[in-house]
Amino acid sequence: MKNVLHTALVCTLLIVGCRKDPAIPMPQTDAPFPLQLPAGAPFPEVPDDNPLTVASVQLGKALFFDPRLSRDGTVSCASCHHPDRAFSDTVALSVGIDQQTGGRNAPSLANVAYHPYFFRDGGVSTLERQVIAPVQDPLEMDHSLELAAAAVSGDVEYEQLSRSAYGRPMDEFVVTRAIANYERTLISGWSRFDRYFYQNDGTALTDAEVRGWDLFRSAALNCTVCHNGFDLSDHSFQNIGQYLDYADPGRERISLDPLDNGKFKVPTLRNIALTGPYMHDGSIPTLDGVIDHFASGGLPHPNRSPLLPNFALNADQKADLIAFLNALTDERSIDQVP
Amino acid sequence: MIKLRPNDPGGLYPPYFCVLKSPNSFRSGLAMMHTPFRTLLALLLPLAFAGCGPDEEVEPTPMPPTTTGTLRIKVVPEWEGGAFAMNSVYTNVSDYRVKVEAIKFYLGDVRVLNGSSETMVKDIAFFNLGEGRDTLLATVPAGTWTGLRIGLGVPQELNDADPIVYPSGHPLDLANAMYWTWSQAYRFLIFDGRYDLDAGGTDPPAEPFSMHTGLNECYMEFDLDLGTGVTITAGNTTTLTVHLAVDHFFYSGTETLDLATENQTHGTNLPLALELSNNAAQSFSVE
Repeated sequence: MKNVLHTALVCTLLIVGCRKDPAIPMPQTDAPFPLQLPAGAPFPEVPDDNPLTVASVQLGKALFFDPRLSRDGTVSCASCHHPDRAFSDTVALSVGIDQQTGGRNAPSLANVAYHPYFFRDGGVSTLERQVIAPVQDPLEMDHSLELAAAAVSGDVEYEQLSRSAYGRPMDEFVVTRAIANYERTLISGWSRFDRYFYQNDGTALTDAEVRGWDLFRSAALNCTVCHNGFDLSDHSFQNIGQYLDYADPGRERISLDPLDNGKFKVPTLRNIALTGPYMHDGSIPTLDGVIDHFASGGLPHPNRSPLLPNFALNADQKADLIAFLNALTDERSIDQVP
Repeated sequence: MIKLRPNDPGGLYPPYFCVLKSPNSFRSGLAMMHTPFRTLLALLLPLAFAGCGPDEEVEPTPMPPTTTGTLRIKVVPEWEGGAFAMNSVYTNVSDYRVKVEAIKFYLGDVRVLNGSSETMVKDIAFFNLGEGRDTLLATVPAGTWTGLRIGLGVPQELNDADPIVYPSGHPLDLANAMYWTWSQAYRFLIFDGRYDLDAGGTDPPAEPFSMHTGLNECYMEFDLDLGTGVTITAGNTTTLTVHLAVDHFFYSGTETLDLATENQTHGTNLPLALELSNNAAQSFSVE
């Protein structure tokens, strides 16, 4: 009997010992994420090693809002990218760990699935690699990606989603992939302007907004030379004459070309009413101030874009233009994950 | 320890199992049990073994090739040919007092040379001299090699690759904190410390210098002459000491890197990054 009990004990140990983690449920079947797209919008490109699936996106959302990714567990992605602000911040420069202030204004994440590069200087080429930066930036989350992944590994729900989506336990690979996929689902294209322009609904905009749209695309203002296409941005790099001497070199930091000094990626204008303060450093608090800046043509920096004309607007025209910009706000949440 | 168990006779045992007992003693233990327990065991064992999973399969380790040996390159920092220690104060070529606090760098695409023949023996190695990470191990074909060709930095193909894929302990692991997240590229050389323009000063140098090179432009290839050659014999390790003249980081030929005006580069000050990279690449030597 003693031998029998001994052998039974060995069997039990075998069963327990061979399992990687008895607390982790077996993965569920994953499925493609049913991404909703506005009329005419193409399905965004997705890397081969990161298929857009329900589990990956659910996990990405959970991680996006999880402050455990930061060194002291106080800062999450959502701390600086607020869902009700089209995933931008309300302050000029975001506050990271230990109340430190970042170097640039946190941009909206709307339509990042369509961006060819990331950050205001375009220094990073994929959403997956972009995720590394805020986690490891000493002014943001000040963590190592390895430790951040370790901090959330073992979470039963995360582990199940991770194994469903990627067939592996939580690690750095999964953190970067999952958050990138959640960000890919932040599609913006359901504004009244979209109904007016893409769906030919002439009633979608007010008369003032239509007048503003006409001003916006006029040769005199020339806004659409850069703010065009589905994302209302051509994603080019432009110096708009904000300063004569830029504290932030902008695109030059990446290209090392002095001709790129003071150039920053043209931002989307979608949800622009929600994403102030404006400019790469958040130095202009209102749309009114932004229009004043462009009307002035900016300061004569050597790299100032030749595409910037001086123009003058009366009060009514300015109000119309702002009305149009307000019509670029989505009428529904751009977050598609329940 | 997982071992292949061949010739499973009865189908009770899966092809792989966690070895806690030898197969024979395991079988004899089974025979001694009462029937209910044998039945229970028969039901449970496949479940237990299935939990080990196919990802734990281990291919038989191939026999190591007998035509290679190991070249162990140990980098020894020096100051003007003498001993060097981090956080000690030295006088540099500009007659400034200098205290070096960090020297970290990558050596990439390491090749052994013999006449017109060259063989790549190490893709990338990370050095952190302040923490004793000062050695590179390379598998080298047996023979006599008269030179080394080395890149100071990360070769472009590796520099442009996804940094997530490297396991813990790999030279390119993000945990080494050499990755510039803002430009998705590795720093090649970190050279940090403090300086004092007053050669006669007695207080510890206080002004910081922080020079971090990176970006593909800063990748510098250099050759080391091994004289009559270093001989690698099959299956053995040969150690080669490479001297690193830290004082040389501040000059090249008659040009000097003047800390009074050149003390910070983090990607944007390319001229200084190139100057330091060039100086540092010339600082390696073999006696």
